[in-house]
Amino acid sequence: MENNFEYIDNYFGGNLSPDGKKQFEQRIVEDRDFAEEVAFYLSAKQASKEEMISEKKEWFRLLANQPSSIPIRRPVIQVRRLWKYAAVAAVIACIFFAWYLTSVRSASPQQMAKEYIEKNLRTMPVTMGIRKDSTQDGLRLYNDNQLDSSLKLFENIIQRDSSNFSVKNYAGIVYLRLENYDKALAYFQDLEKYTSLYSNPATFYHALTLMKRNQPGDKQQARRLLEQVSKNDLEEKETAQLWLKKKW
Amino acid sequence: MNFNKPFFQNDEREIIDSLRQQDGKRKKGEELLFTRYAYLIQEAIHKYSLTREDAFNLYSDTMISAIEKIANGSFQGRSSLKTWIYKIFHNKYVDLLRKRTTNKNSINRTASISNLLFQLPDSSKTIIQELVDRTDWEVLRQKLSLISDNCRQMLLLWADGYSDKEIAATLEYKTVDVVKTSRLRCLGKLKQLYKTT
Repeated sequence: MENNFEYIDNYFGGNLSPDGKKQFEQRIVEDRDFAEEVAFYLSAKQASKEEMISEKKEWFRLLANQPSSIPIRRPVIQVRRLWKYAAVAAVIACIFFAWYLTSVRSASPQQMAKEYIEKNLRTMPVTMGIRKDSTQDGLRLYNDNQLDSSLKLFENIIQRDSSNFSVKNYAGIVYLRLENYDKALAYFQDLEKYTSLYSNPATFYHALTLMKRNQPGDKQQARRLLEQVSKNDLEEKETAQLWLKKKW
Repeated sequence: MNFNKPFFQNDEREIIDSLRQQDGKRKKGEELLFTRYAYLIQEAIHKYSLTREDAFNLYSDTMISAIEKIANGSFQGRSSLKTWIYKIFHNKYVDLLRKRTTNKNSINRTASISNLLFQLPDSSKTIIQELVDRTDWEVLRQKLSLISDNCRQMLLLWADGYSDKEIAATLEYKTVDVVKTSRLRCLGKLKQLYKTT
């Protein structure tokens, strides 16, 4: 088996003579087992590539979330043909107003928070890492609903590396799921200080926690935070705007 | 004057050199490249009205493609690195729009396999293509997670275009021959696991 893989590897590596290449190609036509082995070699390479890409993306995500690693460049807004934009804005405003009149319903903030958590925070994306990775282990535990164990792991990581934004975020979410709102708030308030992150949902999660806790004054404070999310174009801006339109 | 001679800024040159190194330090180059142009994520949000997640994925796909092309020498430096990256980024955006309208998610895999098959003449290419099409990708990827970490890491690097020499340097193997033997043995193990399903 391995002999054939070496032979196949040599072909695709360009290490066979012109005659050797011809023999290889002819053998594919004549020998079904050999053809299957060549196909497997290519499929394995493709599957490995897909795995590699998904791991690399996860690594990129960590890089993007490192404070100050990404230079922020504001887009240049060109002031031209303003009337076109104004017309489009007017049409959108009309549509929006009509929609607002027909579909705005009152809703309990606690219920909205509960539904959001159920829908979006029940599971977290996990990658199959090459190396052993405590964060990924913590996320696997979280997804298995072993919240206490996942929390222990996340807090251990934070003890070793207090600047690990992602893990602090995960710990806050676990506390929120465990309904330990004070601890969740402590994490999210801490994370709000990282203003240079390309993606930081902390302000939104801060509001979410207050909505779920629903103590006197929480609603009003949550609304103020959601307004900040909307105004400053922060993570989960769309959800914040949707919630702000409801009558609380 | 030689107009074909690539001319890069110092930081661009550093990134390109890192990505073309044969001593297993490519990862540093990948990090430098990713952070150098990551402002494009914000630009995609504003310019193309994408969600953060879509903008991030668009930029990640751009980086993966750029890294591969720089490492294998396809990037010849006929424009600055920034211009070239921006061109890939824009093309990926067009691909994204096309994918959304045609809902063809398997395009990438097909294109990628075709790249591997290009060396074969038509008669054998058709046979192999048919056999590859029968692959159960989900099972194969799952089996990949069952082989040893070393094997998996080796196969992933191989699929990423690392030469056996680079794999030896990255994973600290003594010789290229050991890497090759081990890599082929890992393929054998993966095949055994896949066939037992």
